Amino acid sequence: MTPAFLLAHLSVLLAAPILLVGVVNRTKAVWAGRRGVPLLQAAYDLRRLMGKRTVYSSVSTLFVPAAPAVALATALVSGLLVPLVGPRAPLSFPFDFVLFAYVWGLGRMALMLGALDTGSSFEGMGASREATYSALIEPALFVAAGTLAAAAGRGDFAGLLRFRPEDASTALVWGGCAVALFVNLQVESARIPVDDPATHLELTMIHEVMVLDHGGPDLAAIQYAAAVKMTVGAALLAALLDPVGPSAAPLAAAAARLALILAVGVAVGTVESLIARLKLRAVPEYAFLALVAAFVALLASTVRPGGLE
Amino acid sequence: MTPAVLAAGLTLLAGAAAALALRTNRARAWAAVGSQAAATALVLSAAVPILLGAPPEAVQWSWPYPFETIRVHLDALGAFFLAWSLPMTLLGTVYAAGYLKPYFDAGRDGGPHFALLNVTALSFVMVYTVENALVFLLGWEIAAVAAWLLVIWDYKNQKIRFAGFNYLVSTHVGMFFLVAAFMVMHSQTGSFDFSAFSGFLRTPGALRNVTFVLLVTSFGLKSAFFPFHTWLPRAHSAAPAHVSALMSGVIHKAGLFALLRFLLLIGRPEEWMGWYLIAFSGLSALLGVLYTSSQRDLKRLLGYSSTENVGIAGVGFGLGVLGLCWGQPTLVLLGFTGGVLHLFNHALFKCLLFYAAGAVYLSTHSIDIERLGGLARRMPKTAGFFLVGGLAISGLPPLNGFVSELIIYAGLLVGAAHGGRARVLLVCAAGLLAFVGAVGALSMARAFGVTFLGRPRDPQVHPKTDAPAPLAAPMALHAAGVVLVGLWPPAGLAFVRETVALFIALAPPASGTLPDIGSLLVPVAAASWLLVGLVAALWALGRRARAAAAEHVTWGCGYTAPNARMQYTGASFSAQFTSIFEAVLPQLRREELPRGYFPPDGRLATHHVDAVETRMFQLLGDGEDLVERAVGRVPDEPRYSFAAGLAALAAIIGLILFANGTGP
Repeated sequence: MTPAFLLAHLSVLLAAPILLVGVVNRTKAVWAGRRGVPLLQAAYDLRRLMGKRTVYSSVSTLFVPAAPAVALATALVSGLLVPLVGPRAPLSFPFDFVLFAYVWGLGRMALMLGALDTGSSFEGMGASREATYSALIEPALFVAAGTLAAAAGRGDFAGLLRFRPEDASTALVWGGCAVALFVNLQVESARIPVDDPATHLELTMIHEVMVLDHGGPDLAAIQYAAAVKMTVGAALLAALLDPVGPSAAPLAAAAARLALILAVGVAVGTVESLIARLKLRAVPEYAFLALVAAFVALLASTVRPGGLE
Repeated sequence: MTPAVLAAGLTLLAGAAAALALRTNRARAWAAVGSQAAATALVLSAAVPILLGAPPEAVQWSWPYPFETIRVHLDALGAFFLAWSLPMTLLGTVYAAGYLKPYFDAGRDGGPHFALLNVTALSFVMVYTVENALVFLLGWEIAAVAAWLLVIWDYKNQKIRFAGFNYLVSTHVGMFFLVAAFMVMHSQTGSFDFSAFSGFLRTPGALRNVTFVLLVTSFGLKSAFFPFHTWLPRAHSAAPAHVSALMSGVIHKAGLFALLRFLLLIGRPEEWMGWYLIAFSGLSALLGVLYTSSQRDLKRLLGYSSTENVGIAGVGFGLGVLGLCWGQPTLVLLGFTGGVLHLFNHALFKCLLFYAAGAVYLSTHSIDIERLGGLARRMPKTAGFFLVGGLAISGLPPLNGFVSELIIYAGLLVGAAHGGRARVLLVCAAGLLAFVGAVGALSMARAFGVTFLGRPRDPQVHPKTDAPAPLAAPMALHAAGVVLVGLWPPAGLAFVRETVALFIALAPPASGTLPDIGSLLVPVAAASWLLVGLVAALWALGRRARAAAAEHVTWGCGYTAPNARMQYTGASFSAQFTSIFEAVLPQLRREELPRGYFPPDGRLATHHVDAVETRMFQLLGDGEDLVERAVGRVPDEPRYSFAAGLAALAAIIGLILFANGTGP
């Protein structure tokens, strides 16, 4: 791991979220026939929020102010575990995806407790939904990652995402896991059809409703953390889909990967434009779809003998 | 060193006698605490060298019939269990002195209670060191009866007597299975000595398979595996907090100890045993955690989470068993390290959580989370301790629960390389554990959020003070352990290394060395430190913004008159989740909806019952009529528990007859 690689990884990790949010919003604007906001609008929004004063609820204790710090820290640490600019990640070891999933879990826990800390029934509702849907999507991520680990013979995230199809059964493994990772991205980063980040109708939201009482720099941190999380989720999918081989020139590979991450953003925006948000009652079934896709991949992975060394 | 163990046993007995004989509760408490501290020091002086790699010790006496030879054998497995069971019992006794103070002030005699705590510690010394079936049973029985008497501290309350009785019957149903297994082994070997049993257990055959099932059933009942958990939520909510803590965290780990002991005696198990353990444990973990999501009694919730956590540890053991029969030392290492470390971690955070729940009860006289709320402001210390325990039990980094769960996940995924069917089953088991972890997080966010955050829900609950010193000190020590193993995993690994080495010796690596789990955990620890550092840095960065912050009421989304009763409740928090899993989380619902233009009061009450308990007792009856009566009368009708015992006996006899008919 060279300093140049680390620098490149960190700068993509910190800057790409702004761009990815811009790409998703621009995609939605294009589908709707609008010109849309500038690509870097998210950065301007964050700067505006940073200049505002925070207001805390008189009911709240330490959890409302702590939630943004924990959410952002967990998003950034998870960003070190996935490959962003090439075939490798800065922090990589066998079964690091377990740490990845549980670090996200910690960030989620912080937001849920921050929501419950205000004593608001709306935020409690958001926390309840977040807890429910994340519990339903978590097995899909593990089955998909476990399948890839067994099929690729590697336990680390960067290694198992280098799995590529060779024949029909491995194509099924690859495709099933890609579907599972895409649904996981939608659930975890609050996108349509699971959650709508643009609506301000409290009764239908999940993530947005948990942060109703956050403002100013705190809200900026939470929104930035959400963007980082979406980038990391998109990077997982991009790493699995990336056609550039490990022998390509580092700079070209990094550029291709970044383009692919943004392309995942376009896909997310497209789905968001073409599909209506699901009824909350139907969300568990959508999460179940990811589990089924991962399970199909798991079954397909046993067709061919092979495994971890 | 074995004399130290015997001296510890005698010290505990003397302390129990002193607790009974002394005049004031203060003196009785000191007698128990002092004797337990001395016994702990003695036991640690013997156990620590063995955990550091010294050879095991044994002494042997010849006793008259029926005991024959009694062998006291302190190996790494027993030393490991003793090394934390006795100190944790000591902390529980310290807690008891603070928790029972209101009773003592009212003139209650605490002597028997303290004596029983000593006797519980004594039963650990017996069960964890003596390798003779009869003495083992004696220790097992002492632990069970002592736990029963500890549970019914508040014996004047009929519900508590019933909960205690239910426990007593259930634990003896488990005893039937154990006695049956010992009888089978005695009939085959003509001895009560474990090393003689080992000769029988090492030869494959139908009778060995039956013995294995009997043993796992009995130990499963002891450790509250699903579906043998029905006694547990009731007993845990009835007992004083320290008794719940000790039962859940320490006493019932004896079941897992015995399971490990007999796995060692079996030597090279068969593959189905591993799958059986994984299936049995996975089911426990799943259903245990599903039940935690809907409980409104804080201690009952924690009780169900024991079923979940022994299940997680059991999955690790099952993996280790698979590793033994496949001859994969890596899998043996990962499975048993993960399982053994998890049961220790569980003892650390489960006691912590029960102690915090006890502090809440002492302050508010309620552990019904729907009546609480906003306690973080009134009891910041207790809230902090509960939070640490809650995060750890959800398996979140950087705390200890994550370390052991990560090792079990690693084992599952390494085992997945074995082959097609094994891969499907083990990867699915990993998905199941992920689900269990996420639901555990839901339950803990719910329990902590509703109890400690927001505004007080019930004006009739008046929190008095935060936890006094005798309650806070044990919590602080447990929390320190939780954080230590989380941030410095080598400490936990070093603690279990020699125990796991016993299992690796059963299937030694053919060539080369085993992978070092420590090197797997170094980057994990690094990431944990990075996480902690980043949170601290971001927190420090936000200092100025927080100092300038204004204060206002919670945003009510346009509604201007919200009150504390309108907050999200525990039931509403888990409503959607439980509705998805309605089949195993049946809900009793009573409602009177408002009608008409000017309705009088409306009412809605929901209650989640234990599906297994209700359904199992239903099945025991004959016909619809009995089913109907049973459902209504289970809560106050112990006869059905006896019926369960008789059915168990019949099943055992049937199994043995079956095995003799077809066996060798």
